[in-house]
Amino acid sequence: MDARPPPRRQQRLPVFSRYRPLPDAYDELFAASGRPHPAIADVVARLEALGGAELRARQRAADTLFLQSGVTFSVYSDNRGVEKIFPFDLIPRVIPGEEWRSLSRGLVQRMRALNLFLADIYGPQRILNDGVLPRDLVLASKGYLPQVHGIMPRGGVFVHVAGIDLVRDGDGRFLVLEDNLRCPSGVSYVLENRQMLKRILPGVFSPSGVYAVDAYPMQLSHALASLSPVAADDTRLVVLTPGPYNSAYFEHGFLARRMGSELVQGSDLFVHDKRVYVKTTRGPQPVHVIYRRIDDEFLDPAVFRSDSMLGVRGLFEAYAAGNVTLANALGNGVADDKAVYPFVPDMIRYYLGEEPLLGQVETFLCARDDHRRHVLANLDRMVVKAVDASGGYGMLMGPQAPTEERAEFAQRIEANPRGYIAQPRVELSTCPTLCENGIAPRRVDLRPYVITGHGGDPWVLPGGLTRVALREGSYVVNSSQGGGSKDTWVLGASNEEDT
Amino acid sequence: MISRVAEHCFWLGRYVERLDAMARLLRVNRIFVLDVELPREERWLPIVIISGERERLAEHLRSDVPEGDAVEAYFTWDERSPVSLRSSLYWARENARNIREVISLEMWEVVNGGWQWFDRGPAQRLFKKDRDAFYREVRILVDQFRGLSQSTLLREEPHHFMGLGALLERAGQTARTLDTRHHTLDAESKRAGTAVELARWNMLLASCSAREPFAKRNRGLPTGRSVAAFLVLERTFPRSVRYCLDEACLIGRRISPRESGRPAAQPSLAALDQLRATVAGYTEPLLFEDSIHALLTSVIEQISEVCAGLHRDYFDPSLPDMTARAGAPPPVKAAPATERTPVMTAPIDHES
Repeated sequence: MDARPPPRRQQRLPVFSRYRPLPDAYDELFAASGRPHPAIADVVARLEALGGAELRARQRAADTLFLQSGVTFSVYSDNRGVEKIFPFDLIPRVIPGEEWRSLSRGLVQRMRALNLFLADIYGPQRILNDGVLPRDLVLASKGYLPQVHGIMPRGGVFVHVAGIDLVRDGDGRFLVLEDNLRCPSGVSYVLENRQMLKRILPGVFSPSGVYAVDAYPMQLSHALASLSPVAADDTRLVVLTPGPYNSAYFEHGFLARRMGSELVQGSDLFVHDKRVYVKTTRGPQPVHVIYRRIDDEFLDPAVFRSDSMLGVRGLFEAYAAGNVTLANALGNGVADDKAVYPFVPDMIRYYLGEEPLLGQVETFLCARDDHRRHVLANLDRMVVKAVDASGGYGMLMGPQAPTEERAEFAQRIEANPRGYIAQPRVELSTCPTLCENGIAPRRVDLRPYVITGHGGDPWVLPGGLTRVALREGSYVVNSSQGGGSKDTWVLGASNEEDT
Repeated sequence: MISRVAEHCFWLGRYVERLDAMARLLRVNRIFVLDVELPREERWLPIVIISGERERLAEHLRSDVPEGDAVEAYFTWDERSPVSLRSSLYWARENARNIREVISLEMWEVVNGGWQWFDRGPAQRLFKKDRDAFYREVRILVDQFRGLSQSTLLREEPHHFMGLGALLERAGQTARTLDTRHHTLDAESKRAGTAVELARWNMLLASCSAREPFAKRNRGLPTGRSVAAFLVLERTFPRSVRYCLDEACLIGRRISPRESGRPAAQPSLAALDQLRATVAGYTEPLLFEDSIHALLTSVIEQISEVCAGLHRDYFDPSLPDMTARAGAPPPVKAAPATERTPVMTAPIDHES
């Protein structure tokens, strides 16, 4: 393997000496003074010691390794997928342990409240009856499924896996940008990026006391088995994928492999007498838990979209009868609707009687007349998002968009106010990133993953997916929009073992 | 194991075998035509016939008598040919990609790395610069894949189905290769023992990696009869029809579902046993008593019958049958139609 060339005795190119953080943004590694944040100064020093040329050589080695091992995502036009590697930047994003622990508490709080909200909405709807949340707005959500009303998933868990998107504002405070409670993707890159950095930068990694991320698949299968309709040991868990042309197909296979379960497509399953079976070479075998990566409306052509070729006829009935656990549960879209998002702090107060630990971004609901007027008057300062879109699609970056595009969005908002929200643009934090001409600040976000099983608190993966907007000046980190990723290091693992 | 996955394993085995066979045919024939002066139609046409691509290629090249470079380029790069190296490698990888959680990481890396190499510049350059080295690379790829499937895979169904696919493909390949020479196998040729004739039998043996194994069993000069007998009947030669069928039957015992401790009767496996028994009943004199062409043709046909049977028994068992076996009486309502989503599912994205 050519990953690590022999050490050469030559003058090292400096790594960070010419690095200048942006004036208004918080930088993940460097303080405004130009010095590294004290808690992570050791890591920065070890990167510096490698030298610039060596860093570039290792970046190239990483790119080759990713392609060879087929760690890819699919981008498609028409019917045929093109696989690409998810661009990876080897300079890690480092989070001090102290900061992580408080962040993690905030995430656990949020997930507890969101689960209670879903159980309430598909049950007694107390929060609507008490007038805490506007009934019309909630029930008009595309993600609200009336068919699910009255069905309580096992253990009351709706959101087995959540990906909460966080950003930092100019002061370095973490804010929730959006919740992903249906099919959050990307966790496989967290594990693969880590694997890669351990191979490529062992000397930087090993003394730093970074929390391991490898436990994720075990935690997930453990949580899912704890919610199985049969005993954990008798449980057949499958991962349901739309197929190899889905953008996250690599991840579906990865998780199946690491959980020791099977990867199935809709056509591999059938339902008989409200029970789910998988077709095997030895006849039908019962299935108890489905980690599904297919959206609600495609899951059962008998109940939802009848043209779906991806789903399983009868699955809904089996689910309603409690014979199969679906993760995530059906109907979660109502809780991660972008127009419901501004009310999550109210949910936390209502269900838990606590003050929210995590801040979130000020949000204007175009459905409200006063908000809409404000948004339309200030489009050049707003980020407008369609409430049910994801992946950076259906979005207006007001400050950067040309006038015509803003005019077009104004029309769309007028035509469908419930369909849009707007937020002031947050000065996302930056992280040093290897670019064409040296190392430069690029905007990043963070998606931590939270797993909820039977009883007890949700489990937060120490780390998460750091996405980086590779284009200079860009605020959009989605892979579909030219984003890449970084490994996320949470420090403090070694201290914990000492105490 | 999941039926669809079993089918991907089976085809992965077949495509890797097909890749190997085509690369060997091209490499061997290339050397062979350098050795001897042959009429034009004997140089590359046999390869085209073995591959079953005569008509398509004639149309493509606008010539009935294809020549070296064009044939090599076609069977290496052309995605219109279902048996080109490109197609075999592409489909091997596609099948592997569908079952990455089933095969070992090492196997995936070989087949994926191989495709990345093939599909980009380096392979094209090597093909132009050093043809022999190019074919050698393909062979190494196949050897690595086979070695890893022996050393990294659990000995359970995925391994069995992969092996079954490879063996059935190989038996058919040997039969087809031999059949292209059927009219001369038994002929008391005037040219028997001549340089051309010897080169021809050597070429045939080499196409099946059989030159040295043959020499270990036969002391005399190769003749059509001795070569045919070796390639069909030799029980210890891993590319003979007999050996492949013997081994395929052994695998059949392992994959056959057991009912009260005994293998259950599966029509496909019964047909395979029957075919093996037929071939095992032959001796060298018997081979030539009737038409060897008829025998080889029937072997090829019955192998495809067995494959179709495996599809029915294992890969796509009909849903009503599955439902009946799920324990309860069949549903009163008509069973839902089997929606077998093709591998090329239309892309729909739900990921956030």
